[in-house]
Amino acid sequence: MAEEFNTDSMLSMFLYESNQGLEKLEGIILEKQDADCFDDADINEIFRIMHTIKGSSAVLMYENIKTASHKLEDVFYYLRESHPENVPHKELVEKVLAVSDFITGELDKIKDGDNPDGDEKELVADLEEFLGELKGEIKKQGIRLPKANKQEEPTQFYITPVAEPDSHFYRIVIRYRSDTQMSNIRAYSATYALKEVAEDLLYTPEDILSNEASHDSILAEGFHMLLQTKASKEEVMELIDSSEAETIDFDEINSTEYGKALTEFGREAPPIVINLGDEKGEAKGEKQQAPIAPGDYVVKSKETGKGKTLAKNQPKQQAIISVNIEKMDALMDMIGELVIAEATVLQNPDLKVPGLDLTNFQKAAAQLAKNTTELQDVIMSMRMMPLTSVFQKMRRIVFDVSRKLGKDIEFEVIGENTEVDKNIIEHISDPLMHLVRNSVDHGIEDNPDLRTANGKSAKGKITLEAKNEGGKVYISVRDDGKGLNREKLYNKAFENGLIGDKPMSEFSDKDIFKFITLPGFSTKEEVTEYSGRGVGMDVVVKNIQSIGGRLEIDSVEGQGSEMTLVIPLTLAIISGIVIQVGEAPFVIEMASIKEFISVTEDALIQEPGGEEYIVLRGDCFPFIRLGEKYDLPGAKSKLEEGIVAVVEHEGQQICILIDKILQEQEIVVKPIPSYVKKVKGLSGCTQLGDGSIALILDVGGLMIEEERR
Amino acid sequence: MKILLAEDDFASRKFMDKQLSRYGECDVMVDGEEAVDAFMMALEDEPYDLACLDVMMPVMDGYQVLKAIRDIEAQKGIPKSKRVKVIMTTALNDERNVKMAFELGCEAYAGKPIDMEKFEKVLKKLELI
Repeated sequence: MAEEFNTDSMLSMFLYESNQGLEKLEGIILEKQDADCFDDADINEIFRIMHTIKGSSAVLMYENIKTASHKLEDVFYYLRESHPENVPHKELVEKVLAVSDFITGELDKIKDGDNPDGDEKELVADLEEFLGELKGEIKKQGIRLPKANKQEEPTQFYITPVAEPDSHFYRIVIRYRSDTQMSNIRAYSATYALKEVAEDLLYTPEDILSNEASHDSILAEGFHMLLQTKASKEEVMELIDSSEAETIDFDEINSTEYGKALTEFGREAPPIVINLGDEKGEAKGEKQQAPIAPGDYVVKSKETGKGKTLAKNQPKQQAIISVNIEKMDALMDMIGELVIAEATVLQNPDLKVPGLDLTNFQKAAAQLAKNTTELQDVIMSMRMMPLTSVFQKMRRIVFDVSRKLGKDIEFEVIGENTEVDKNIIEHISDPLMHLVRNSVDHGIEDNPDLRTANGKSAKGKITLEAKNEGGKVYISVRDDGKGLNREKLYNKAFENGLIGDKPMSEFSDKDIFKFITLPGFSTKEEVTEYSGRGVGMDVVVKNIQSIGGRLEIDSVEGQGSEMTLVIPLTLAIISGIVIQVGEAPFVIEMASIKEFISVTEDALIQEPGGEEYIVLRGDCFPFIRLGEKYDLPGAKSKLEEGIVAVVEHEGQQICILIDKILQEQEIVVKPIPSYVKKVKGLSGCTQLGDGSIALILDVGGLMIEEERR
Repeated sequence: MKILLAEDDFASRKFMDKQLSRYGECDVMVDGEEAVDAFMMALEDEPYDLACLDVMMPVMDGYQVLKAIRDIEAQKGIPKSKRVKVIMTTALNDERNVKMAFELGCEAYAGKPIDMEKFEKVLKKLELI
């Protein structure tokens, strides 16, 4: 392939999908080649793959691919419908591979910009014969032949554009001799000549014809052009009249630089975009998330001498490369290791030899620390993505569901630019969708009169808000609907036997609201298309918990509900405080620490059951002696000797007795290896600077432990 | 065959006019609104068999014209088989654009530069020639 071909986006989609299908197909075939027959799932899958390829090749008018895939689809249609026995498996495998090879060959031709002209007739005749035998066999086995596989010819077609070589991008600066007359007219004739070959042409100053003064600025600063064209440098040079030009700077640039240059141009002067037949190359490669609609492509006023500008804003040029997420994860891991290695060097025990002069070492160390921190920040920001696309999806869901249910709902989005880790985005999309649907379906009242009777506007309102606070992201779905009914929820949970026989008074509001997250819980009398099946909320909670987040539910009956997802900003590196109990170091996550305090024995309350509490400034908190809990030798047992750490989780606080505080450190969270027995109250481990292992305290887990006692 | 061609770019217009004139009588419009007007007018005596619509045009874009044409036909109760065949001719061949056009009810979507060989094949498939 001599030249890169600029593949049409529809075409590349077809190639991609077909190749994926074929890969899967071959996977199935190769796995089952020695088996006796395909099972139903395989037959269905192969049928589906062939059906897809047939359909799309028909739309794109690749007749030979269509015919071949169609025939194979037919074969599998009969296999699927009649389940005949004694299918010659080896022969069938060969046929499938032959078709797959044929299509792959044709797809390669298309990819290279050639015409897919392979002859499918022999292959099809072969398949036809095989199909005939198969039908005969089916009849012999006394199974009724299914109705013929009905074919619907596509009624819509896509004509792929003629394949063309890729565009070149040039930056051209013409400087005219200082005594040149009417340089603006010369500049204009250059642009005019270039229009013939240009796909896109931008120049500054832009008002060369109408503004006489542009003559001077061209002489002073030169005439700058940005050109996208399929023509070669020589062809372009020939078109520019160089008789009065002193120098012509001619740079070929890549599309990224071109994009950047475009925005630079855009700042100085509004870009004039001349579209001669082809849309801008880089716009295609760019993600355009905004939905399109008829009317977006109206060409605005068209004056003579000016190019046309689309009414729809030209998307801002941004150079983007896509990177395999696995590579990103690997990089993240490496940086994690680097942070540990850094700590191992900077806190190396060898440095503690008395009398060492470490001035220069400390300087270098500070530099290293600064760079690793920055490196961490960069990799973090690389993984960050705005929530925009997820929120966009929600907008669509509110629209669809509210229309179907006949509810009038206003949808407000706040903070859609909030950025979170890419991993997290993938995990919150489904849960969020569920919450939004619930709000539309259950939250907002069915009858607008009910709303007005309660002093609310007839139109329902749902707010989706995201914010970033203290290392956590809060995403809340708020509706001003009927809210949650304490009694109803309790009764329902009671009926379904989810809570045993505790009376309602034993539950706080929050406890009762949490019932809706229990598996198998639904208060909606009737199951609707969208929700009410009682599966879902428990799945939402599970999904959120799997990424270390939680769901908060708040509601006022008659006024609405608010569901908030609280998710950590990132999962891998946290900042924590290293403490010591006995000989063992522990890490407590910075965000959960409220304070460290010295307490005397007076503040301690001991219950007969052995539970201990500490009274701080009039409030009473559960108290845990870490040394005792984990049986650590040498741990301080007297309150006066140790330090009490007050930690918080989900609004509750407990006190923990520790020996001493060692240091603050960025830590890389590693899971506790599976060969170590699971210990409650610990969420992971990490390596410290001196190479020792510290366990990370799971404050939430400790509290649950404490409550159970 | 009666053809409606809407295309605002001079070079493309000239090219398409020449190509399409081989198949029948070709009316050339320079913007979207004119195209809809012409379509309405033709409905009264001899409707068009084929409409080729550019997307980026002044006043109304090709998608709007397509939608307008289909709306008018629906309102007049013209059966699906009698509807004018519409081919979008544009360089905007992003998958989303193509999908939208298909949803709006065009018969074919031709990416520019147009492959006239395939174009003719489509005309055959649509039983226009």
